[in-house]
Amino acid sequence: MTSDSARFGHRWLPILLVLPLMILILLFFYAPVIQAFYWSFFLEQPFGGGSQFVGFDNFSRVLADPEFWRATWRTLIFMVTASALAVVLPLVLAIAADRQIRLSPVARNVLVWPKGVAGASIGVVFAFIFNPFVGILAPLNNWFPGLWAPGLDGVDAFITLIVAHVWSGIPFNFVILLAGLRAVPHTLYQAAALDGAGPWRRIRDLQLPLIAPQLFLTLVLEFTESITSVFALIDTITKGGPGGATTLLVYKIYADGFRGYDLSGASTQTVMLMIFVVLLAGCQFAFLGRRINYER
Amino acid sequence: MNAIDPIHAEAQGIRLSGVTKSYDAKAVTIPPMDIEMRAGEFTVILGPSGCGKSTLLQMIAGLERVTGGTISIGGREVQDLEPKERGLAMVFQNYALYPHMTVAQNIGYSLRVAGIQRAERDARVKAVARMLGLADFLHRKPGQLSGGQRQRVAIGRAIIREPGVLLFDEPLSNLDAQLRQDMRLELAELHHRIGATSIFVTHDQVEAMTLADRILILNKGRVEQFDTPKTIYSRPASIFVAKFIGAPPMNILPVSGDGRALRFGNGKVFAASPLKGEFLLGIRPESIVLDRHGPIRAQLRHREDLGSHMILTAAFDLVDLRIALPFGSAEPQQSDLHLHFPRECLHLFDVEGRRIEADFHLEYAN
Repeated sequence: MTSDSARFGHRWLPILLVLPLMILILLFFYAPVIQAFYWSFFLEQPFGGGSQFVGFDNFSRVLADPEFWRATWRTLIFMVTASALAVVLPLVLAIAADRQIRLSPVARNVLVWPKGVAGASIGVVFAFIFNPFVGILAPLNNWFPGLWAPGLDGVDAFITLIVAHVWSGIPFNFVILLAGLRAVPHTLYQAAALDGAGPWRRIRDLQLPLIAPQLFLTLVLEFTESITSVFALIDTITKGGPGGATTLLVYKIYADGFRGYDLSGASTQTVMLMIFVVLLAGCQFAFLGRRINYER
Repeated sequence: MNAIDPIHAEAQGIRLSGVTKSYDAKAVTIPPMDIEMRAGEFTVILGPSGCGKSTLLQMIAGLERVTGGTISIGGREVQDLEPKERGLAMVFQNYALYPHMTVAQNIGYSLRVAGIQRAERDARVKAVARMLGLADFLHRKPGQLSGGQRQRVAIGRAIIREPGVLLFDEPLSNLDAQLRQDMRLELAELHHRIGATSIFVTHDQVEAMTLADRILILNKGRVEQFDTPKTIYSRPASIFVAKFIGAPPMNILPVSGDGRALRFGNGKVFAASPLKGEFLLGIRPESIVLDRHGPIRAQLRHREDLGSHMILTAAFDLVDLRIALPFGSAEPQQSDLHLHFPRECLHLFDVEGRRIEADFHLEYAN
C-alpha cells in the first residue's frame, strides 16, 4: 500500500525532525521531574553544597504535616467545584446556543482567546473585579458592611479563585462542546421529536450521550488544569491567604520551596501531586473513557 | 410470512386544505394546496429536487410549520400540534438512528419515552424485530449494521407504535441498486400487512410507479397531477408529467392546427381536427411502431442496445425522436425509417403544457 515515495528517504531524517521537540521536553519536563524525584529522597541544602540520602523520611514528614492535608483537601474541593462549573456552565451555554447561533469561524476564534491570556493577567483583573472597595461586589458592602471581604474571609477568597478559574475556562470548553453538539445530525432530533421526546428528554437521551467524547475531554483537561494552573491566580489574587485559606497544594509547594527553602519537602509534595494527577487521569480514562461511544 | 402480524395500524385519512409554505415574504415555496389521501392509501410524492416534496412531508410531520391552511389527520386538525401529538411516524433518508443506542433501544425508544413497562416494551421490540428479520441484531449498535439493516431498524422504529400514518422521506436513496429493489418489495409487502396510510417522498419514478396507489407529482410546489400510476402514465396531465414519468421521456413535437387539419412542423398533415393554433404532440418512445407501410419517415441516426430493449434515435421534423424497441423485434436494416404513431398513444398539449382532450383522427396527407 505505502509507496516508497511516501516514506522518508533518509532513516535519520525523521529523528532529526523530532529532535528539537524531544530536547525541549527532556530539558523542561523530564529533567525537572527526575530532579524532583531525586530530591524527594534526599535532604537538600537550600543554597547547594551537600545533600544527604534520607530514604522515605521526607515522605513521612510531609504526610505527618496537618498543613499538607489541609492543602490537599482544599485542592480537592477546588478541583471538583471549579472543574464541574467550568464544564457545566459552558455546557448549558452550548446547548442554548446550539439552537440559535450560527458561529462563524471568526467568532469561534475570538472565543478561544481567553484561553491564551496568562493566568497572572486574569488574576490581576479579577483582583480588581472582586476588590471589596471598588469591585462589582462593593455595593454589597454598602448595604451589609463586611459581607464581601475576600481579604479577611477565606470562603470569599476561595469563591474569587473559583470564579476567576471558571471564567477563563468557559470559552474554550464552550467551543469544544458546541462543536460536539453541531456534529449531531439534525435529523436525529427530528426523529426523537417524532418518537415523542420533548426538548429536555432530547438533551438527556441524545445530546449528552452524543457529546460524551467532548465532555470527557473537557473534564480531563479541567481536572488536571484546575490542580496546576491555579497557581498564577493564587499568586496574583490571594497569595494563599487569608490565613492559608487559599493555599492549595501547588501554592504550598512554591511557598515551602522558595519562601521556606525546604527544597526536599517541596520536591516530595511535587512528586506526590504528580502521582495524584497521573492516577486521576488514569482513573478517568479507565472508568469514564471506556464507556464512551466514539461512534457516530 | 408470519401467521399473525404483531403490528396493525388504524389507518387514518389525511386532508390538506389551502396549505401554503413560504420561508420569507417574497418567495413562496408551496402555493395553496388542497389534497386528500384516503385512509390506508399509499401515496408517493414525486418531483425533481427542490420541488417542495420534502417540505410538504415535513409540514405533515410537524417538523415544519405551515404558513397557512389546515392539515387534518383522521378528521382532527393537527397543523398546530407537536409532531408527537399527530399520531404519525417517519422514516428518514439517512435513517437518523441513534448511534449510541442498540438496535433494540432504537426500535423501543418511543415506547420508553411513552413510559411503557420494560417487559411489554421488550416483547413488542422482539415482535417487530422478528417481522423485519432483525432478531439476531438486537444488541448491535447501528454502526455495526449494513445499509439495508439500518433501513430496517429505521422502519421498525417507525412502525412499533402502530401509527395511523407512516411517512417516508426518500428512504431508499442511500441504498445500492440491488438492495433498493429488494427493500422496495419489502416496503410494498409491509404496507399491505400494516395498513397504515403511507406517504412516500422520492425522486425515483420507478419507486413511485411500483409502490404507489396514487402518485402526487409536484413541480415548483404545485400539484401537476395526483392520480394512479396507470393514469399518470397513460394520460399525463401536462408535459412536465409526461416527460417526468417514463424513460426515455416522451417525445414532444410542435404541431399546428388551421381549423381543419393538424400539421407537423414540416407542414405535413397528419390528422383532421377542428383545432386552431400551436400545440405540442406527445408520443412515448415505446408507443412508436416501426412499420414498412408507415406514413411517417425519419432518418435513423443512432442506436443504443440495452439488452432488454433497444433505443433508436431518429431525426424527424427538426427534433430527435426516440424509439424504444422491445427485445427480439426486427431491427431496421436501413437508415430510412417508416413509422406509425397509433392514435390512442398520442397526447396533445397546449403551448403552456396542459393536456387537451382533443378530438382528432389520423389522416395523413402530404
